[in-house]
Amino acid sequence: MQQDNLHGFSESKRLLSIAKMNNPSGHPMPELSFLAADQSSAGFLLQFQAMASTCELLIDLPESHWALAEQLALQAVRETWRIEFKFSRYRTGNWHDKVHQKRGHWQNLDEESARLIAFADQAWQLSDGLFDITSGILRKVWRFDGSDRLPEPEQVATLLPHIGRQKIQWSLPEDDGVNSKPAQLYLPEGMELDFGGVGKEYAVDRVLGLSLSLLQKAQPDVACSLLVNFGGDIACSGPRANGEPWKVGIEAPDREGKEAALLSLTGGALATSGDSQRYLLKEGKRYSHLLNPKTGWPIENAVRSITVAAPTCSQGGLISSLALLQGAGAENLLKQTGLKYWLLSA
Amino acid sequence: MKRIAVAAALIALLSGCADLGVKPWQRDILAQPEMQLISDPVEAGLDDHIYFSKEATSGGRGFGGGGCGCN
Amino acid sequence: MAVDLEVVVVAVTKMTSQTEQAVAEHQLTHETSKASLTMLLASAGCALLAGLPNQAQASELDNWDFDAATLIYAESDSRVTAAEPVISATRNFDSETKLNLKLALDTLTGASPSGATPSDQAQTFARPSGRGDYDIKAGEQPLDDTFRDSRAAFSATWSAPINRDWAYSAGGYLSSEHDYRSLGVNGSISRYLNEKNTTITLGGSFSSDSIDPEGGLPIGLSAMAVPGSANFDQDFSNSRQGSSDDKTITDFLVGVTQVINRRTLMQFNYSISASDGYLTDPYKIVSVIDDSSGDNYGGNYQVNGQNLYIYEKRPDTRLKQALYWQTKYQRENSDIIDFSYRFMFDDWGINSHTLDLKYRWQLGDHYLEPQLRWYSQSAADFYQRYTTASDYQNVDEISADYRLGDMDTYTVGLRYGYRMAGGSELYARLALYQQQSSGSSGFGKLKEQALYPDTTATMLTVGYKF
Repeated sequence: MQQDNLHGFSESKRLLSIAKMNNPSGHPMPELSFLAADQSSAGFLLQFQAMASTCELLIDLPESHWALAEQLALQAVRETWRIEFKFSRYRTGNWHDKVHQKRGHWQNLDEESARLIAFADQAWQLSDGLFDITSGILRKVWRFDGSDRLPEPEQVATLLPHIGRQKIQWSLPEDDGVNSKPAQLYLPEGMELDFGGVGKEYAVDRVLGLSLSLLQKAQPDVACSLLVNFGGDIACSGPRANGEPWKVGIEAPDREGKEAALLSLTGGALATSGDSQRYLLKEGKRYSHLLNPKTGWPIENAVRSITVAAPTCSQGGLISSLALLQGAGAENLLKQTGLKYWLLSA
Repeated sequence: MKRIAVAAALIALLSGCADLGVKPWQRDILAQPEMQLISDPVEAGLDDHIYFSKEATSGGRGFGGGGCGCN
Repeated sequence: MAVDLEVVVVAVTKMTSQTEQAVAEHQLTHETSKASLTMLLASAGCALLAGLPNQAQASELDNWDFDAATLIYAESDSRVTAAEPVISATRNFDSETKLNLKLALDTLTGASPSGATPSDQAQTFARPSGRGDYDIKAGEQPLDDTFRDSRAAFSATWSAPINRDWAYSAGGYLSSEHDYRSLGVNGSISRYLNEKNTTITLGGSFSSDSIDPEGGLPIGLSAMAVPGSANFDQDFSNSRQGSSDDKTITDFLVGVTQVINRRTLMQFNYSISASDGYLTDPYKIVSVIDDSSGDNYGGNYQVNGQNLYIYEKRPDTRLKQALYWQTKYQRENSDIIDFSYRFMFDDWGINSHTLDLKYRWQLGDHYLEPQLRWYSQSAADFYQRYTTASDYQNVDEISADYRLGDMDTYTVGLRYGYRMAGGSELYARLALYQQQSSGSSGFGKLKEQALYPDTTATMLTVGYKF
């Protein structure tokens, strides 16, 4: 109830309970609160941890709809944690681990992984090979901790043979009505898939999509609008239930929590790529954490971060990543897409 | 049939030309409604109808119009 | 992180001062970048979400685009006046899947050239229905003032992708007026190549039309019954061959659309169209001119003291072929140049050239679009402005319809449009259209007559897209 004093909100809060099997990463339990500034601005806020971020779901429903809000919240948490676990590089026994156990053999892919790989493939083609889900292996030698410890060129060179989307093979599922064949993947020995560049945005879109589907089934007696925010990657279902736009503040780190600007969001998504905290600095030269998969070395003249507004978070994330990989050409690409964007130069 | 051969040669020429065209993210201008080849189908339909009933030629851009006893 | 329902904080980006203001002023809606997103959506995977919604369901009306317009066409000298209201409704299922429905009504009134030549004598013509007649003063153009018709046409077209590389469309239309009906189907298939920079389209259409003219079908080349004569009824019915006939039109088209660069788009089409059946205009006649030397040299040839006019007759097949080239280019200042050229030739001996140039002048939310069009055709082999007493029994086919003669036409137009905040657009277009025919100027008395008068028409279109 501390927040009463801080914001003039009235608030009630519930801790949600999620079964262990749905919490494979052992996160703390999520919190669902009902917040009300006044009659016209009230709703539910779900907060939980996943993908190294604070994840939020805002549910624009009156307080009488606790049951539905809880249902939406539980679904959102389970789905996010499921995606996080499935594609995590750091776990054993998960999908990512199993796929890498079978390197050097053809293996079947489930539909979801096939869709993600297809999506990453389009990014790879669009970026002329700069966006590459096999480049994560470079983390073995590059640690962006703000220090000046650059890898030796030989270290980087030994990894290059294991990088390159063109070295993996995969096929789309086929179904001609008579015979069906699942999607298949051939991942050579020594190579690694990294879904870090698409996973979080994908989860944002999934949570919004599943929530909207659930709402379509539940048919509540009032209009319900949703906003998903996973550490700055955002998607919303449309304007708020009262017809007003969502207000999204963009925070300036050097202004200590003050919003640099307010966006009015009435639909679609925002996604951000880049991170001003992750870099190396040596002899006055700033090395961005963005690595060129063709050379194994950082992209030259990279901007620090890019936020893009797009219909879905995955698309926004894709465009902001592609733009970031263009180095100094980022703004040029962004302009050409015609999308709204905000850019932080180095 | 000679004309068809010409058209086919034209197609081969166009599809073989690697320098033509743009990347998907460069389609902002071409995607504008006013940059469509027929930017206003209703106006085009009205024009076609007038010209169909006043001149000996119709079609070419799309199908030959018609459906009218005016010619 | 401060989170409440009013303000969701994106704790990532430091703004440059330049973009801050843009952000503060920016209202993010789907309208802002709809056009360019369409392409992006197509290329960069909405498949990822496998059909999960990403928006609260739009109301049904939001999925529709409407375009309503009315054209008023008026020829000078109180000839044909036409009013044609059209409404077109498009249901968008996704960026590439749509259903278009279009309804057009069309009302024509006024007088239209019958094909007969003017004369130094007054002329009397039977009305096409066989009921009554109309008189044309000496020296005036023979115009049939019974011309009055309304038409309703409905069409539906479905277009959708098949997969990443292929798309198709299928449609049908129905058009009906009191003496004419047309029923048609059409379809096309498109193949995208070179990252969708090249599109090859193959299309076909087939229509089956039936004509049921007032007063029945005249027998081609037969004499028009003389109004007021004792045996008019007998003569009139002798000049008829049943009440209706039909024709089919089969079209094929192959087209290539090529993206040249970010600002330029080009299209080449080749089309072939075969018409088969009753292609004659049942209301058109041809004057027979006296070519025997004497007082009446160049006057109307008379049989039993009455002018002789014969019904026109055209071949019953026609094969047209056309080449079409269009280029559209957007200048740096957003003005758009749209140029097209069409060459058509057919087995009736008609060749035609059409040049069309539009320049769209972008003025913020407004635009002005001047247009110039030039069209030139050569005459059909069987076109004759008139026939003569010594020839008329030897012709197999003949038409004096000026639309099959040597002709140039010019259109000068100006369109103004205003795009409103919600994405709707109001527009008006005024165009002047002139037809100039030419041909042999006749002989004897006929030389005094204006055989090829110019026709000038004004076209006004007002429309609203929403």
